[in-house]
Amino acid sequence: MTGTPLLKVRDLSVGLETGGGIRPIISGIGFDLAPREILGIIGASGAGKTVLSRALVNWIDPPLKVTSGSVIYKSQNILDLPAQKLRTLRREIAYVGANPAGALDPTLPVGQQIVEKLRAIAPEVPHDEARKRVIDLLGAVRIPSPQMRYHEYPSQFSGGMMQRALIVDALVSNPAFLVADNVTQPLDVTVAAQVLRLMRELTTRFDTAIVFISSSLPLVSDAADQILVLAEGRVVERQVTKALVATPQHPYTRELISQIPKIWTSEAVAIDPPAQSREPIISILDATRSYRVRKRGTFASYSTVRAVRNVTFDVFPGENFGIVGESGCGKSTLMRLLSRLERPDSGHVLCDGQDIARLSGKGLLKFRRDFQLVLQDPFNSLPPRTAIGAIIEEPLKTHGIARGEQLRDRVLSVMHEVGLPGALYDELPLGLSAGQRQRVNVARAMVLEPKVLIMDETLSSLDQTEQFKLLKLFEQLQVQHGLTYVYISHDLAMVRRVCNRVAVMYLGEVVEIADNSRLFFDPGHPYTKALLSAVPTLEERRYKPEDCLLEGEPPSPIDLPPGCSFTSRCPNAFGRCHQQSPVLTARGGKDLAACFLVENTLTHAAA
Amino acid sequence: MSVTETDIPVIPVPTQRGASVARRIWRIALASNEFRVGAIIFTVLVLAALLYPELSGIDPTKMSVATRLHAPPFMGDKWSWTAPLGTDQIGRDMLVRSLVGLRYSLFIGLSTVVLMLIIGCSLGTVAGYYGGRVDMVIMRLTDAQLSIPMIILAITVLGVSRPTIPAIILVLGLSSWPVYARVTRSVVMTERKREYVRAAEIYGASDFRIMVRLLAPLVLPPIIFVSALDVARMMIFESILGFIGLGVQPPTPTFGNIIADGRKYLLNAWWIATMPGVFLCLCLTSINLMGASLERARNRIYGGKS
Repeated sequence: MTGTPLLKVRDLSVGLETGGGIRPIISGIGFDLAPREILGIIGASGAGKTVLSRALVNWIDPPLKVTSGSVIYKSQNILDLPAQKLRTLRREIAYVGANPAGALDPTLPVGQQIVEKLRAIAPEVPHDEARKRVIDLLGAVRIPSPQMRYHEYPSQFSGGMMQRALIVDALVSNPAFLVADNVTQPLDVTVAAQVLRLMRELTTRFDTAIVFISSSLPLVSDAADQILVLAEGRVVERQVTKALVATPQHPYTRELISQIPKIWTSEAVAIDPPAQSREPIISILDATRSYRVRKRGTFASYSTVRAVRNVTFDVFPGENFGIVGESGCGKSTLMRLLSRLERPDSGHVLCDGQDIARLSGKGLLKFRRDFQLVLQDPFNSLPPRTAIGAIIEEPLKTHGIARGEQLRDRVLSVMHEVGLPGALYDELPLGLSAGQRQRVNVARAMVLEPKVLIMDETLSSLDQTEQFKLLKLFEQLQVQHGLTYVYISHDLAMVRRVCNRVAVMYLGEVVEIADNSRLFFDPGHPYTKALLSAVPTLEERRYKPEDCLLEGEPPSPIDLPPGCSFTSRCPNAFGRCHQQSPVLTARGGKDLAACFLVENTLTHAAA
Repeated sequence: MSVTETDIPVIPVPTQRGASVARRIWRIALASNEFRVGAIIFTVLVLAALLYPELSGIDPTKMSVATRLHAPPFMGDKWSWTAPLGTDQIGRDMLVRSLVGLRYSLFIGLSTVVLMLIIGCSLGTVAGYYGGRVDMVIMRLTDAQLSIPMIILAITVLGVSRPTIPAIILVLGLSSWPVYARVTRSVVMTERKREYVRAAEIYGASDFRIMVRLLAPLVLPPIIFVSALDVARMMIFESILGFIGLGVQPPTPTFGNIIADGRKYLLNAWWIATMPGVFLCLCLTSINLMGASLERARNRIYGGKS
């Protein structure tokens, strides 16, 4: 990089003050950041990324303590500045964190909050101008109709929009330097891709230098000019992005890269196709589920949210079935239907040929035993005040399967099977890492020896290394117990690795069902293509995001537009799409897609 | 991809059972001096209340005009152990009377709190768990209950019916459960939305099982620790009722009626009204000491602030 660096970090160390001294969290970090540069910082969870990002903006609170080093911004050491001077610097230095919902005040309209912030750090800006600038920026980060959105409250924003509002919040003072800590983590791939594109635009439009922190290398490599690899609080490698990906020097980086799932190679698939089976173990027939929600701003009128619409598919024994889609597409509702937490308004869910909506008493208990779910959030899904052994015992006790010593033995053997040390039996889940917690979750599901396991975003909260280990564990369990898995996920790389067949959902509908390789190499629906184009990857992209994805968010499931629900974002939409809704159409083999273009190619082929 | 047995890491299974959480809390609490002091005072008081009146053979209601208004031996001139805490206006032994009073007070205080806990927590759990209409009905009930001041309710009910021990317990218990119901409901409402409840529904646990096995261990402990303080509160209420003549009826001695009697002699025989107060104070202090150190031990285990 040329020119004088904007930011010079030298020998930066931060430690955690404990009773017995200082435990180092990050040590000896040093780098330069030039104007307009994007520096990516990657590392596994616990490598000290967030601590580093906070140290860069002098936001280290006890018990953390800066033990040595300097962060020199325009020849001033930020770490030594008194609070007064630091405040004036805040307009040049901005920080965006990973928890947009927590960072916005729920009681103030979004626009007003941002104006408030701008005027706090730059009081000379008149109110009208501040407002205008915020609205302009909301538009610049592609928030639709910014004039209206300005007056809305954070609860009316989706997660992606909140994250973008926070980016506006950081940018509104035209910072010279922005720290983005894991900003894309809570976002869907399509939205994350939009945010990344936005970041790159910023460097050219506002001359901002960005430190972009994430645990996902493919994502960082999409955005960053240079990458810093952090391992256990130390910089192990620093290279220009392309060079780092092509010729990693440090063994840690090499390992990190080798763990990143590849998508468009035949080795990407790590599972064998199941034995061709006869009877589906689950089949869902034309299931629909709507919710009534109170209309905003009215007293007693309701509107209907159509969360799942006319979904039909089969899952065969021994198969790994994937369900993918953006958040809000109805995946979770579908999971609730499959696990009979709710019944469909119309249509049926059959398990082993029985309609599960009609089950009760013994039949239901039997179904519950065969059919288990591993949930997404490792922190919410374990009762915090129950010992781990007791948590895993509970399903056995519920079904009255074992008692006394036998119960304990059974729990210990399951714990062993999922790789949990037996010593944890009487421990509370408090001290466990996210990965261990997910193992407890898996153990709780496995202890009943189910036939079907639904993985509802089970791995999405774990870092690459843990994901890798758990996927291996799932494979082992499948081999040993002949399980059928249903993976509900938005992580296409993982789906590519483990699933035999994949259903793609959009706005409550299944828009495509296809075999793994067909879906990835020859997607039949433009939405699938858009999703694929947005996957962060180190490989050469098969689908260019520019061709596949239009800006914007999915329409609200409350007032669905007539015609195909993807029309508003589809680059290939034509007249008919606005009036009629396509149905799932066979496109050779068992693969189906709901798009008029598929019909057209078929009729052309026939003609 | 083939997977073999050797891929599974072998983890040694411990042969000894680790200490359960409850036992660890006890251990930490027992190690603190406060808990020990509280426990010793409490045990001595309870043992004395249970045993002394029987063992000494002194009848708490036996009058003896000859020995009326004797000061306690450490105050007066005649040193005698016959009445270690003096006698009242009609010559009854104050120590025995106070201890019998403590007996009633403790029994009523404890039973009332147990009753409050049972009613309040179960209604609160049900309201928070099911929500909707069930919740509305129960919460309106608590509102109604909260709007009637306890002491007025007690005076009305006990004034009309005979103030027997069960009646006193019922009145005190029924008038104080809404607080418990409200607290329980709010905790259950937030916990109910957590994913582990969903997981339990999926492995087939019934609503009752979820409430009892998953939610109760989470909701109850903090409430029970706080309720230790309510035992003290209820003992005071029992004394108030006794004082205004609506508690357990004389000649049975209770803190309330002893104090009421002693009030008239406060200037020349202060010990009559004071002794029950001293016992009440000792008892409440010991309960609070134990409660506080148990709470601290619990926080140590669960990772809260101490």
